Amino acid sequence: MTAVQAPPRAALTRLAGLRHTSPGRLQLLLAVLLVLAALTGLVTGLSARSAGTGTADLRDRAQPLLAEAETVWSSLADADATAAQAFITGGLEPPQLTRRYDEKLAAAATALTSAARRVPEGSQGAEAIRSISTGLGDYTALVATARALNRQGKPVGAAYLSTASQLNRETLQPQAQALFQQARREAAAGYADSRSSWWLMLLLVLVVGLGVALIVTQAHLSRTTHRTFNVPLLTATGLTVLLAVVCAGVFAHQRARLTGADRDGSAPAEALAEARNLVLRERADEALTLAARAGRGKLEEDFGLLRERFVVSGPEFDEVAGLMTKAAQQHDAYLAIHDKIRGLDDNGDYEGAVKLAVSEETATTFDGLTTVLGEAITDRRAAFDEEIRSAGRGLGALTVLGPLLALAIAVFALTGLRARLEEYR
Amino acid sequence: MIRTVMALALAVTGLAACTDSGPATTAKPEASATPPPSPAASDPTPACDAAADFDARASFRPTNGTQITAGSHMQTIKDRGRLILGTNQGNVLFSSRDPFTGKIEGFDVDMGREIARAIFGDPDRLEIRVVANADRMDRVADGTVDLVISTMTTNCARWQKVDFSTVYYESGQRVLVGKDSPVQRIEDLGGRPVCAVSGSTSLDNLAKVNPAPVRVTRSDYGSCLVAFQLGEAEAVSTDDTILAGLAAQDPYAKVVGPRFTEEPYAIAIAHDHREFTRYVNAVLDRMRADGTWAKVYDRWLGASGPAPQPPAARYLPCTPPGPEPRCR
Repeated sequence: MTAVQAPPRAALTRLAGLRHTSPGRLQLLLAVLLVLAALTGLVTGLSARSAGTGTADLRDRAQPLLAEAETVWSSLADADATAAQAFITGGLEPPQLTRRYDEKLAAAATALTSAARRVPEGSQGAEAIRSISTGLGDYTALVATARALNRQGKPVGAAYLSTASQLNRETLQPQAQALFQQARREAAAGYADSRSSWWLMLLLVLVVGLGVALIVTQAHLSRTTHRTFNVPLLTATGLTVLLAVVCAGVFAHQRARLTGADRDGSAPAEALAEARNLVLRERADEALTLAARAGRGKLEEDFGLLRERFVVSGPEFDEVAGLMTKAAQQHDAYLAIHDKIRGLDDNGDYEGAVKLAVSEETATTFDGLTTVLGEAITDRRAAFDEEIRSAGRGLGALTVLGPLLALAIAVFALTGLRARLEEYR
Repeated sequence: MIRTVMALALAVTGLAACTDSGPATTAKPEASATPPPSPAASDPTPACDAAADFDARASFRPTNGTQITAGSHMQTIKDRGRLILGTNQGNVLFSSRDPFTGKIEGFDVDMGREIARAIFGDPDRLEIRVVANADRMDRVADGTVDLVISTMTTNCARWQKVDFSTVYYESGQRVLVGKDSPVQRIEDLGGRPVCAVSGSTSLDNLAKVNPAPVRVTRSDYGSCLVAFQLGEAEAVSTDDTILAGLAAQDPYAKVVGPRFTEEPYAIAIAHDHREFTRYVNAVLDRMRADGTWAKVYDRWLGASGPAPQPPAARYLPCTPPGPEPRCR
């Protein structure tokens, strides 16, 4: 037992003994300086790397995933609305509706494929993507069957289309919405990660410690040697201040840009995406209400709830206020047409209601609305890209420069103290 | 000739079934002394004993023919400018959507068109509302639609919620299976998935089969055919008329087995508009007599052979005392 404990105790005694001699004290100070400099260099490099990785992940994965999830969701809602309109038109589908439906499904499939590359294997997101892909295959098959049967004049085509719509609305869209929310949580986590407060606190403590240690060493030297300045140690102090200033500058800039990316980019883009989905659901509700030929029903009640939820004011829309005013006007114009459609149907003019619902006028008004919302989303995504690109600036350089500066501080500290230590030889 | 005799026999049975106080023609004096309920003030039919029971196939006897009396529900419809028909869009040959025109057409719709013709002189004054089978009685009772003509079986349970016209079509439940299925009758499907529409008598009838099939429900028969084609149901079971429409759309399907139920179709009308039920019965009578019924039959069901005799009208021998007749 004692044999094992003896060596550390002996080492400690020796180390404690150093306190009592002048060269011993200098050796201790040098050791403290070298350790602090090494740690500061390491932590600066790691902090910059972690912040850089976090920012890059937000830029290259979390935010694109959010955009792709939104594309999947809105494309599905749009395809459902388009298929329902093609259905109520009767006869063969108008080619522009068929084209729109095909485009939306292609967009959903493309977004789904690239989203799949951005989610980790076995995660909730990967599960959602897998089930949407499977469901999308079933959905397109049902719609294709409905079309083929319609072409043959078989009324069961209508039942295939309503089965497809049910699959889209009750299974696929909720899964796409879940993926969107999952992506949103990941983006939020990305913001938290790239701010990496824990690393920065540690870095702050180390830089302050290093600075204090340098000052204490110089104070000790000037007291014992009656020489006011030690040039290498002074240089080391200067470099420490430089390191502190560079770190503060780079990290403060990153945090400010991240806040900007969230406030002016992510948050408005999300709110706009939800608004676009909301109006797409309105359009689908309108067409499906007519397809059901049951007059006002559950879907029209849903429409009523959705129209109340469409808002264009709020802090997240400040940057696109002009576009949102336009969107509000177009939404009102669309609602006016919708009320006219309902009025016709409620008063027994079903044919008239259908004619108005699939008319060029209604399509133009509604497309105008989704186009404006789309423009606003594109605008906010561009703002995000710009902010996030700026946020990453300097972090890569700091990853290399930080440890190099710390190395230089260590070298100068060593140079400054070695001269004094040699005087005791 | 045989059909006429049978119809007469059935009519007589119907009359006799109504009341335990003897034939309707000799209703009890105290019953005939009770003033019949409005609005049929000129109704020659005597009021019933409270304890009387009724035949679900029998309806109210027309009193004024197809004449529209002031203040009647027919007048309300006429003022509105259109008759609102509740039906279905998935019963091929009876009421289904024509994929080319988007219009709903069929035997049931033509029945509605004839009633619109009687009221307006124009069969196109008809607004079609699609009503889910499960909601048919509610939509009639709450006035959303004036009447429901939707391959709807008249029975006692339903008479509690709505009134029915006389029977305009006789059907019965059978089974639709795949071409190569060994199934011969409904009993062979015990424990197997069979589709029927929720809120239909077909679904109720499946519950009474022994051994019972596993019931798969859909909102209309078109969706049942989808379920059948996707392998979610092994068979579809409902009235042979509807099954014929489904089989016509699927060369892989066949209808098998005997009719294992009787499904007399009638038109559902709200309890509040009994004068309208009498009016509709008058229109149905005229259609049976002047060949319109046969013409409609030929148009939609002619492929299965020449039109049979229309089901004979059976009338309640007496006017029930309450809002709804009670029956066995």
